[in-house]
Amino acid sequence: MNPDTISLRDASKFYGEVLGVNRITLDLKPGLTGLVGPNGSGKSTLMHLLTGLLRPTRGEVSVLGVPPADAERLFRIVGYCTQYDSFPAGATGLSFLRHALALHGQAAAEAEKRSWEMLAAVGLTDSARRRIAGYSKGMRQRIKLAHALCHSPRVLVLDEPLNGLDPMGRAEMIHLFQELAAEGRFVIVSSHILHEVDAICDAVVMVHGGSVVAEGQIRAVRGEITSQPIQVLVRCDRPQAIAARAFTLDHVVEAKLVDDGASVLIRTRDADAFYASLTDMIIESGVTVETVLPADESVDAVYGYLIGQPGVPT
Amino acid sequence: MSGGRWTTRWRQAWAVARHELKLAVFSRRVLPVLLLVGMPLALAGLRAVFLPARQRVDIGHSTADFAQMFSLFHLRFVVFFACALLFAKLFRGEILERSLHYSLLAPVHRAVLVAGKYVGGVIAAWLVLLTTTLLTFVLFHLPHGAAGVRQLLSATGVAHLAGYLAVVALACCAYGALFLLAGLYFRNPMVPALAFLGWEVATPFLPPALKAISVVHYLSSLLPVPPSLGPLALLTRPVDPWLAVLGLLTATGLLLALAIRAAGRLEVTYAAE
Repeated sequence: MNPDTISLRDASKFYGEVLGVNRITLDLKPGLTGLVGPNGSGKSTLMHLLTGLLRPTRGEVSVLGVPPADAERLFRIVGYCTQYDSFPAGATGLSFLRHALALHGQAAAEAEKRSWEMLAAVGLTDSARRRIAGYSKGMRQRIKLAHALCHSPRVLVLDEPLNGLDPMGRAEMIHLFQELAAEGRFVIVSSHILHEVDAICDAVVMVHGGSVVAEGQIRAVRGEITSQPIQVLVRCDRPQAIAARAFTLDHVVEAKLVDDGASVLIRTRDADAFYASLTDMIIESGVTVETVLPADESVDAVYGYLIGQPGVPT
Repeated sequence: MSGGRWTTRWRQAWAVARHELKLAVFSRRVLPVLLLVGMPLALAGLRAVFLPARQRVDIGHSTADFAQMFSLFHLRFVVFFACALLFAKLFRGEILERSLHYSLLAPVHRAVLVAGKYVGGVIAAWLVLLTTTLLTFVLFHLPHGAAGVRQLLSATGVAHLAGYLAVVALACCAYGALFLLAGLYFRNPMVPALAFLGWEVATPFLPPALKAISVVHYLSSLLPVPPSLGPLALLTRPVDPWLAVLGLLTATGLLLALAIRAAGRLEVTYAAE
């Protein structure tokens, strides 16, 4: 297995007769990767397989060349923030992190120092000696993140990490994930909120019914879905003029005026040809264009197309 | 393997042991155990109050009474269930409170995890049960006044006490390994614990070959004062003390090896629990 990537080869997991994930083959590279799919699609099973909390029924898994069953080596390089909202009985934020670092073999003083650093990093210094059971949902999410990050792992696996965080907290955490990814680490984030992933991830892995339905950069994945015309939104002062000219192009299948009266939504089978013609249309019609946006190059739209439910929020 | 890795493993095992010790002795988990170990103390206290005057002058009574109480109640019931409560929860407790994944998400070999938890449990069990045994032993002698104190401090008294403490210490090791394993295999470890208790209680009445597959048979061979087990007991020659100790330690090792194997295969599937 490649020591520079996270790899799954034909990995399946069955819970008795119930399918968890089925024959997944993936290679994940450094950066921010979004694992998307609705609840029950197999995202958490996939993350458990990567971190050894589950063993594949068949197939192989390797994280930077380390098999997940080798916990001693794996968790030197991996941090996992699970979806479970439970903690050891009676633990305070400080004792929770201190114990985690002690399990990494750190001496007491070193563990204490690092725990305080992590508590500061996630904004929980003031609540360090309070029991986690009394924390708010957002605080519990933060302490779980601190736990996953405390040993500076190269690979960070985060299962729905933004759940329960307020908008400010979400922004802070997203910034942190982006920083970690920029440092060349592997940051794998799962979410069932597709636009969230859309906004932060370099690449996505789309999971549905236990199988990977697509992977890669959103735009590339969208480009491969040739059965669905690509949508382009043009905001301008005279959308009717653009719509009229767009109809003359062979590859345009639809030009729809949007209710706001200042936009037109074009559906085309050849986006590149449309963008090439758009300049001429603007010059000829003399309209003033505010923005030109791809309207369905989002994770949300792509996922809908792939599972055959376009426009249906997941 | 490098020395550094072994140092780390020792540190990790000790960190796990400390954590378990804290949970077992300084959390609400200890309450049922305290209730249990309070029973022989209460019994000893009641005996001290209500012992007839004519029996108070005979120090032999305390020795015989303690031997009976220790063998039939303290060892077979209190030590047994205290170990069941303390050790079965080492893994099962974390599964039930859905926090086991934190132990499994650390760079700790599963064998080190099992060893750390077991050591934590043994220290907790020794703290609670050796203290209880000591206090109960003293309470059984106090009603006899100065003669009782003399007996306590005599070579025979100290040897008896040391013998009882050694039996409890060994019982904690053997029952601890057994219940640690039960906690890994059974959703409700109390069910196999009750079944095994039935076997342990029935041991005196079993033929010699079946007695050999029990813990209490070997422990009984180490008792300083053999108790009377009633007319129906099938008396056999006690096991040689060294053989009994070796047998118990071997069984403990075997049970721990099985526990390590089970822990190695452990997966986190809380929804199935």
